[in-house]
Amino acid sequence: MKNVSSNIFNSEKIAIKISFNDIRSIHGKTKILTDYPTYLMDESKLNGTADWLFFPKSEAEIVSILEFLQKNKIRTYVSAARTGIVGACVPNSGSVLSTEKMNKIFGFGFDKNKNYYFIRVEPGITLNEINDKLIKKELDNIPELTPDAIKNFKEIKDPFHYPVDPTEMSATIGGTVATNASGARTLKYGPTRQWIKGLRVLLSSGDILDIQRGECFASKEGSFIINKSNGGKLQFKIPNFIFNTSVKNAAGIYSKPNMDLIDLFIGSEGILGIITQIDIWIIEKNPLISNVLFFNSEEDSISFVELIRNNRIISPEFIEFFSYEALNLMKNVQNKDPGSINMPQIPIDAKSAIFFDVPYSEEKIDIIFSKINKITKKCNTSLSNSWSGYENREITRLKHFRQALPENVNAIIATRKQQFPQIHKLGTDICIPEKYFRNMMEYYHTVVRNANLDYVIFGHIGENHVHVNILPKNMEELRLGEEIYEKFAKKAVEYGGSISAEHGIGKIKTDYLKIMYSQKDLDEMRLIKKSLDPLLVLNYGNIFNFDVETE
Amino acid sequence: MKIIVTIKQVPEANKVAVNPETGTLIREGVESILNPFCEYALDMAVKLKIQNPDLNVEIIVISMGPPQAKYALIRCLELGADKAYLLSDRAFSGSDVWATALTLKEGILKKIGNFDLILAGKQAIDGDTAQVPAELAENLGIPHIYYGFDIKIDKKKINVKKETEKGYKVIEVRLPALVTISKGPSTIRRLPSMKDMIEARKKPLEIINAKSLNMDENKIGLNGSFTQVVKIFSPPTKKAGEIIDGNDSINAAEKLFMFLKEKLIV
Repeated sequence: MKNVSSNIFNSEKIAIKISFNDIRSIHGKTKILTDYPTYLMDESKLNGTADWLFFPKSEAEIVSILEFLQKNKIRTYVSAARTGIVGACVPNSGSVLSTEKMNKIFGFGFDKNKNYYFIRVEPGITLNEINDKLIKKELDNIPELTPDAIKNFKEIKDPFHYPVDPTEMSATIGGTVATNASGARTLKYGPTRQWIKGLRVLLSSGDILDIQRGECFASKEGSFIINKSNGGKLQFKIPNFIFNTSVKNAAGIYSKPNMDLIDLFIGSEGILGIITQIDIWIIEKNPLISNVLFFNSEEDSISFVELIRNNRIISPEFIEFFSYEALNLMKNVQNKDPGSINMPQIPIDAKSAIFFDVPYSEEKIDIIFSKINKITKKCNTSLSNSWSGYENREITRLKHFRQALPENVNAIIATRKQQFPQIHKLGTDICIPEKYFRNMMEYYHTVVRNANLDYVIFGHIGENHVHVNILPKNMEELRLGEEIYEKFAKKAVEYGGSISAEHGIGKIKTDYLKIMYSQKDLDEMRLIKKSLDPLLVLNYGNIFNFDVETE
Repeated sequence: MKIIVTIKQVPEANKVAVNPETGTLIREGVESILNPFCEYALDMAVKLKIQNPDLNVEIIVISMGPPQAKYALIRCLELGADKAYLLSDRAFSGSDVWATALTLKEGILKKIGNFDLILAGKQAIDGDTAQVPAELAENLGIPHIYYGFDIKIDKKKINVKKETEKGYKVIEVRLPALVTISKGPSTIRRLPSMKDMIEARKKPLEIINAKSLNMDENKIGLNGSFTQVVKIFSPPTKKAGEIIDGNDSINAAEKLFMFLKEKLIV
């Protein structure tokens, strides 16, 4: 069925029904808690509870599960790799619907309008699996969605990839679409949203929206109309606020005048529908050189970032930051066990470090590094004060160094948890407009130092988005840390930033969302949720607090 | 003092699979790297250079391979080699270990001349033959020691710690000599700096063809090779053997008996 008008969308209904009894499921709170405990948490270590655990293998199976859930008034929480860190997939009650068995590639094509190849996948496939197939060009037995797409693709010598890199590449594509994941390489490639060509979304009613980007836009008044498969009409209005895209932002539902229907679902943390199929654009993978450059002061490293960020010769793919505190933590790990992070000795006098990727070609390496050399002199360091690598194994090694930092933070927290089980890491995800970034950094250091708490700062400095991780040692420090966290969130909003640049809101950050949005904004978001999922079956409690029930 | 390091570019081993039908390596999407054991040999050379500043050590790397093997040599220059030679020519292709060793010998004699020490990796991780270094040493008429993991220079001699099944032994040898290296001096691989990257590309890297070595064409490439690879397959995985400690003889006998019983031998 073709969609007739710009803000009207025709839904589909699944043709073949599958009996609920034929779908793999686990029933029983205790059984799930005992045998499947990992399905009750994510990387935030927030714990939940569920009576049912489903492993659907197809969209049709999810339709049957949804029928069962609606009939029995059971809520469901969509879960996949559980790499999220805001508890979005953690069930409050009801059921967990794991998309891990839905990990197939459905097709491959060439998008003439965009001049990009695209791949059609199920939500449960991981980013690693997608990239592995693309790099090796292993696409045998996959249907061609446009004539000769695979044949032509194989003739191109360069390797391809899906360029969004949320650091954790074992994340599934479905999860990253639901949270509009970004990560380090957003500096060059933007967040997930920009790479999504099409989505199939299953509403809780069983209606399927097969949306291609550019097909359906909100009307002038901001409304969408969905023609349901049973003949009914579903009309709703998008919120009046304009979603802040001037900074990296994953807080709240996307909204802007004349927005594309597809964008409503990207980043909506699963509360509006279940994603069952995704078309993603892919591009050539540039050869890169990864570098870690050490500095004598944090100010120098920030100056370096400001000077390379928009430099067209250097053209960095990402820029990451390690604070003095972060380097010290890594040095301690290295002193205890030099092999554990598999890196040469971190320079003793390093006060901060910048990790950045630049394009690699034998012809240009001299020009690029000469340019960087000039900049390092202005920033009181030198090219010899660095690590550099371009072989894949070296790039992976440097990436592991970056990942080793949060992993070691988590390990420290895990040890402290043994004494105080309630303790958890307090990790900010704040993005600030560039002109306030130095002020914000000063604010971070001053506030945490005054409270005398352990902390590290690291992350995507290229986009003025660093993570402050506070490591409380006891319950009093946890309380203090939480106060500080709220201060940071308020300051961020004051500066026009986002309280959640990439992790999303999930269940952990709902209180902070209230700092960023007015009551009216929140109510408008809730109204969409109620229109698309009237019985509040899907991922209830994500983004909004529980007071939605009382309205 | 001149130290020569012979090196090879290889496909990254853990990524290579064998096509069971054709018996050839599937190399799509697999990156070429400097053979890890060759990197250990280079690390050893760099260590000796640092340890003996008065000897004025010059590290020269040499390889035979296709044109793209120059990237493995550039890698060596980044990691501390001073000069590099690549013996590259269509006429060399198809060389077996014998032809390779002969070609390397000619490259060394004609391009480098006198030298004090040759270091090589104990084997390449693609072919795993471990033949070339010994054949090179024999052809050059110098002694060779395999499986070295530490070297001390003592004027015109070196002391080499050589790995054995149970530990190591120390062998003294007069220079010039060849040592293959089994384990690097550091457990953590070095990483060049950005400065090393720039400097490496300014160091001399010469590509040498068959003609300039002036070798008999029947002694190089396929013509000069006595052996030929017929088929490649992954060896079946074998469990490591078990050694029973004989100091406690009663316990050892019991363990041996149980082992034999388990295998239904007794």
